[in-house]
Amino acid sequence: MAGYRTRMEIIGDILSTTRDDCQDEQGATVTYLIKKANVSYPRLSEILSMLVKQGLLEVDRTKNSSKYRISENGREFLLAYNTFTEFSSDYGLNI
Amino acid sequence: MEFLLENILNMIGFIVGLAIGLMSLIGFRNTGSPTLFRLTIAFFAISAGFLIIWVGYLAADFVTKSGDIERWVQTTGIIVQTVGYFFIAFSHSIKAFLPKSSYFRSVGVVPLFLISSVQIEHIFRSISFILLAYGAIETILSYLDTRNRGAISVASGLALLALGEFLGWYSFVFPESILYTTSISIKIAGLVALFIPVSRLPLTRIRVDDGLDGEGDEWEEEEEAEEEGREDGGARREEGREDRSADTHGRVQEPDAEEARSTPAPDGGSPGRVEPKDGR
Repeated sequence: MAGYRTRMEIIGDILSTTRDDCQDEQGATVTYLIKKANVSYPRLSEILSMLVKQGLLEVDRTKNSSKYRISENGREFLLAYNTFTEFSSDYGLNI
Repeated sequence: MEFLLENILNMIGFIVGLAIGLMSLIGFRNTGSPTLFRLTIAFFAISAGFLIIWVGYLAADFVTKSGDIERWVQTTGIIVQTVGYFFIAFSHSIKAFLPKSSYFRSVGVVPLFLISSVQIEHIFRSISFILLAYGAIETILSYLDTRNRGAISVASGLALLALGEFLGWYSFVFPESILYTTSISIKIAGLVALFIPVSRLPLTRIRVDDGLDGEGDEWEEEEEAEEEGREDGGARREEGREDRSADTHGRVQEPDAEEARSTPAPDGGSPGRVEPKDGR
């Protein structure tokens, strides 16, 4: 019974991708994140700018593209996110 | 015997509710998840309800020496607990609150209210039963979906609490029977089952963040801290992962959220928290 992902889950997927599944050390491109995290461009760009503003993602802007990689704070957030996702799941709920 | 069991039940209920509520609060503080916020309210209310009844019993034993709890105290405690059960059920979505079958709606549920409408306490016991049963069913459905074994424990806990609540309510029909003692014992078992998932959490990696003390001020400094966080982030990666265990968990906040708060890392970084726009 698959449902829509919550915004929190989408953020978790984006951060997980930038942590575990990056293209290279510089980070992941927007196109790559769209494919891996399965998010539309408008929604992804909005979430990415928010995550960068909050310091959970770091962006490396070059002439041709921007690459996103997870920051130390992002790793901390993801750790807490994973822990409490399981906690919520124990109570039959989505975080 | 019943008096002792009641004291044990309410003490365990208070402790378990408080523990789960605190864990949910830590989760909410760290992630900003509305689900965890509802769980926090739910379990704090349950804990407060048990505390009220426990204090009532202690007062009856040591202060008034009447040997029986004041009825209004017990009713207040039960109402507060029901509020907590409501939030658990609400978290599971209130859309399926009543059975879809018109037969069950007319025969299965309504009599619970009709029979127990004599006293407020009975009404709230029956409401608690419905909410708990609903929560247990939804949790079982969730287990079927996710196969998360922790959900079995929680579903069992909620089901046992529901059964205990039902027997406790039913014992008014047979006041001198063993029903009430059985009800209390079942509720204790239910509370223990509810606590199992919390006991498995890796507590060494979770701690209350520094933001608990003065979040508002910290959020005002977000812009500054953001810059520092970026600079420090790179430096800390070079230092290795040892520092992470000592750091505060980050929280993400939407830029336009009204109740914007943040949790600065010890070094001045600025993780925020996420406020889902869709309210889930």
